[in-house]
Amino acid sequence: MKPAASGGDEQRRSLKREVAVINKQGIHARPAALFVKTAGKFGCEIVVEKDGEVVNGKSIIGLLMLAAGQGTKLVITADGRDADKALTELAKLFDDKFNED
Amino acid sequence: MEAKPITVRAISAEAFYTAYGRQLGLKLEAGEAGLDRKIREATVNRPGLALAGFFRYFAWMRVQVVGKAETFYLKSLSTGERRRRIQDFFQRRVPCVVFSRNIRPLSEFLEEADAYRVPLFRSPLVTGPLINSATLMLDMEFAPKITEHGTMVDILGIGVLIKGESGVGKSECALALLERGYSLVSDDVTRVYVLDGRELMASSPEETRYLMEVRGLGLIDVCRVFGVGAIRIEKRIDLVVTLQDPHKMEDIERVGMEQEFHEILGIRVPHVCIPVSPGRDLARLVEVAALDQKLKTMGHNTAKEFNNRLIARMRGEAKK
Repeated sequence: MKPAASGGDEQRRSLKREVAVINKQGIHARPAALFVKTAGKFGCEIVVEKDGEVVNGKSIIGLLMLAAGQGTKLVITADGRDADKALTELAKLFDDKFNED
Repeated sequence: MEAKPITVRAISAEAFYTAYGRQLGLKLEAGEAGLDRKIREATVNRPGLALAGFFRYFAWMRVQVVGKAETFYLKSLSTGERRRRIQDFFQRRVPCVVFSRNIRPLSEFLEEADAYRVPLFRSPLVTGPLINSATLMLDMEFAPKITEHGTMVDILGIGVLIKGESGVGKSECALALLERGYSLVSDDVTRVYVLDGRELMASSPEETRYLMEVRGLGLIDVCRVFGVGAIRIEKRIDLVVTLQDPHKMEDIERVGMEQEFHEILGIRVPHVCIPVSPGRDLARLVEVAALDQKLKTMGHNTAKEFNNRLIARMRGEAKK
């Protein structure tokens, strides 16, 4: 795994957060759409990782490909100015079970 | 600003005669003075029972169709009785009478029609087909109508109404679709009516038929520029596509699981919203939207089918 913060440039921040999929149906179409819509509001780059497979967090097909069912652990990495805010909002989606269940 | 629906409550016998006389082969035989009488129901009636003297539930406000049965029945009566029955019938203020099969109306019928001022027509059509055609025509006259701001095209048999604010590129989009070999029904102003209470039919106002306004070019005669194959007089609306500035869109569809609808005259039509941004091939997008709609009406929803497979797979993995 890459080191968390690469240092040097003060503006660029790469942050990581581990989230758990707790909603019953997992990351199917509706949660994935909600995720990319939220991710799309931020300028930072966002990637999502499951068991070593890394996909772009703004790509719906990518997220769906992960087939992240209930109980899966994902690592979201955000890289950019608003990384912190992006991670907070995205993690909240998982905690809120994507407004499902 | 949306146009208001137009509802027709009555049409005059004259309007019916003018609009459909040629198609139905109508010939006015008597009662010309009553051409202003009003037809108040979008269907026809066979007045057999009324001519037999039974007037309860007599649908007098409809077009009355007289065929062989009524004529032979009247012929079986004595002259005096026959005239009385016809007078009783005309007293009910029927809007007009049509004789099918070119049956020559009985002389009493002709005389009383003039006396009571009820238009009497003759049609060469056989009674059944005459009733069917006349009912369809009346249904169309009485159907709720509205004028929609939008461009209507036919893409491989799928009728698509393209909506969106002025200048968003509806006509340019239609132009590109014409180049791909599809046909235009109307540009910018589309007349819509409800067919049979369940389908929306779209056509162009007569005055601007086949005309298209393209910014920078002016008016284009589609029929002459693209040929007669590029136009279509009327088409059912199967899909409404709204072209929209992405900055004004609250939500851009990414999956397409939920079917959105657009309501026109109380009829719900599948609806998609396409964000317009420079460099997007709108015609191609509208074309694919139409084809995907066709798949959906055939019972295939790509997003739903994929999602069901995905959920089943995730469930299987969770159990391991």
